[in-house]
Amino acid sequence: MKILILVKQVPEADKVAVDPETGTLIREGVASILNPYCEYALDQAAKLKRDNPELHIEVTAISMGPPQATSALLRCLELGADKAYLLSDRKFAGSDVWATSTAIKEGIVGLEPEFDLILAGKQAIDGDTAQVPAETAEQLGIPQITYGVDVKINDKRVEVKRETETGYQVLSTKMPALITMSKGSNIRRVPSMQEVLDARKKPLDVVSADDLNIDESKIGLSASPTQVDKVFAPPSKSGGEIIDGTDPKAAAKKLLEYLKENSFLRV
Amino acid sequence: MPENIIEAQQFEQIPFEKIRAVKGEMVISEDFPSYLVDESKISGGYAEYLFFPNTEEEIASLICKMREEELMITISAARTGIVGSAVPFGGAVLSLERMDSVIGLGYDDEAERWFLRVQPAISLNEINHIVKLRKLELHQSIPEEKNWIEKFETEKTHYYPVDPTEMTASIGGTIGANASGARSFKYGSTREWIRRIRVDIGTGDVLVIHRGKYKAKDGKFVIKTSEGDLTIKIPTYKMPKAKNAAGLYTKPDMDLIDLFIGSEGVFGAITEADIWLKEFTPQMSNVVFFKDEIDALEFVIKLRTSEKIQPEFIEFFENNALSLLRDKQKEDPKFVNMPAIAEDITTAISFDLPYSEETLSEYFIEISKMLEECNSSLNNTWSAYEDREIARFKHFRHAVPEIVNNIIAERKKQFSEIHKLGTDMSVEDIHLKEMMEFYRVSLKEAGLEYVMWGHIGDNHVHVNILPRNMDDLKLGKELYKKFADKAVQFGGSVSAEHGIGKIKHEYLQIMYGEEGVLQMREIKFSLDPNCVFNCGNIFGRGVKK
Repeated sequence: MKILILVKQVPEADKVAVDPETGTLIREGVASILNPYCEYALDQAAKLKRDNPELHIEVTAISMGPPQATSALLRCLELGADKAYLLSDRKFAGSDVWATSTAIKEGIVGLEPEFDLILAGKQAIDGDTAQVPAETAEQLGIPQITYGVDVKINDKRVEVKRETETGYQVLSTKMPALITMSKGSNIRRVPSMQEVLDARKKPLDVVSADDLNIDESKIGLSASPTQVDKVFAPPSKSGGEIIDGTDPKAAAKKLLEYLKENSFLRV
Repeated sequence: MPENIIEAQQFEQIPFEKIRAVKGEMVISEDFPSYLVDESKISGGYAEYLFFPNTEEEIASLICKMREEELMITISAARTGIVGSAVPFGGAVLSLERMDSVIGLGYDDEAERWFLRVQPAISLNEINHIVKLRKLELHQSIPEEKNWIEKFETEKTHYYPVDPTEMTASIGGTIGANASGARSFKYGSTREWIRRIRVDIGTGDVLVIHRGKYKAKDGKFVIKTSEGDLTIKIPTYKMPKAKNAAGLYTKPDMDLIDLFIGSEGVFGAITEADIWLKEFTPQMSNVVFFKDEIDALEFVIKLRTSEKIQPEFIEFFENNALSLLRDKQKEDPKFVNMPAIAEDITTAISFDLPYSEETLSEYFIEISKMLEECNSSLNNTWSAYEDREIARFKHFRHAVPEIVNNIIAERKKQFSEIHKLGTDMSVEDIHLKEMMEFYRVSLKEAGLEYVMWGHIGDNHVHVNILPRNMDDLKLGKELYKKFADKAVQFGGSVSAEHGIGKIKHEYLQIMYGEEGVLQMREIKFSLDPNCVFNCGNIFGRGVKK
């Protein structure tokens, strides 16, 4: 069985600030990391591999990005991927979510067409669009389930426990399919020194647009129907009402009244 | 040629009223209580003045004023020390917090090294932030005409490698304490990283001490001050070979700068320092697990004597420490934020290595051989090299002390007098196994609850006795003294990194004997005859000539 993991290298988001004047990201001194949600997808693949030895699962990580994104793929290899591909080419530069998903779809079709399951992070922590996995599934013409926290394989079907706004939902679909993963309650894994050592011996190939025979008109800036006009931090909220908590009973009563008056409570 | 005579610089007096000050014991205790405590949590601190000077001149003026009023001065910066050095018991608190800037950057042609000139209250975190991101202005070149800032831009990333764990510590405080921490295993303590200091001494003068310029001659230094010549007789006791932060430094031909480094502020306030910078090498953090502590100790010895591998540090966690972590993982997995530790593991060893793709495989294969000889393997390990993962490992290493502090805080609710008894002792390399065995047997015989972790690369493990009641506390104190005796017998120190401060005087006596402590006192009163600075540190509060 073949599982593909779609991954992205991102700046460590909690250390990135937005320049209030130019609206650009201040990335000075900020490290690049494997997107944490992609790591959860990889963890899920490793778990499926461990729990289903009879399926002989092979895990392949795929990313599109600049040459330095190989370090994110190396981390995938340390955390359980068997091989990795980086789609890297100047022709991909400026791709929006649609052009990116096109490139990834072409990569999958060209490199690993016989896949059974694709796992991806629910979104990347830099752009937060959550579009690329969904659009990739659409372009591949396969079913998708988003916001998964646990995945089980059941013969030719995949069963996914997914987060909703009010709780959890379990959905099932036939494979091949694409699942995006949320964090759930997992503690991120740490590779052993043996896994770090072994990762250096696993295949990690850098593939260009020409290697994949991708039609240039479908990728890059010119093939991107959307563009980011401006990045800005939302204005900080001000005002509000502070309830004096010296007398807890009185404070609770006042809070209850406020919630009722403003229709926050149906009491 | 180095000489043993140094001439102090004098200042013109600044009107005392111009110095930002708070006066009155009551107002200080009510409105500025944080200046009366430090991380030692010693209670009972009080002060009649609290000063916030901006310059050396202001410090000189307030020294004169305090001498007139016969008040002592306690130096205060980040207050991160854990032996009470910054806790005042009367007199004035001299907070250096306004002196927290980077003055400049220079290149020492002779030493062929970069240095940063800083004021005393800047934190180690801030120093590294500025140096790593090169946040320096052109005019900060020392000297300005050399344009070192432009040159530094083209250099590889540098940093200040001393890491005493608490990186919010101020540089002045760490010089006063000769701070070390885990990485002293590779880089030595603060002492090795100080090029030059300026110190305001008890006469109100300032000494500018450049390493290599003033060396002891015939066992003496002479300091020419505005109040006459001060003759300093250097002590004759021998320093331990093991890691040490107890008492004053001495060596027959010692450098004057070393008398001030690690002197816990008893001779004056450091107002400026040149610190050496080092080229930054990416690191990788590793933790290896063992089922038997003896195997783990054997691994430590192999690792630190390896010709091929030079770890940044080697840290140790024994079974009780791992049990605390395991329990915490079950209760609150995110607090520890690491994968579960297997139940059959009794010891963990943590170490950082230089990270390079070129050497990684070679290092790991070497470590694999060592582990196999010690009944473990590369599979029983964790490894990381990304910054965020290294930070995660660092958090993991610090989780145990935090859990221990929480346990003690809980017990204090029942027995308010209870406190943790944490040792800070080192021994010589050859005595590591014996000392560990001594700790284990003694603690078992006493039936005390304890946790051990620490800097095993330097044979410097912190034994933390966790008293359950007042009887345990009494028993623990007796045991602590036995440990100190044994550490000294094994060529070690009673305080390898925390210093003596206001709480470990009796152990200093164990280490250097009465004569040794007397020699230290003699220097104190030669250099600070009016006992202006940091009285109570190293020597008891009531110390007299």
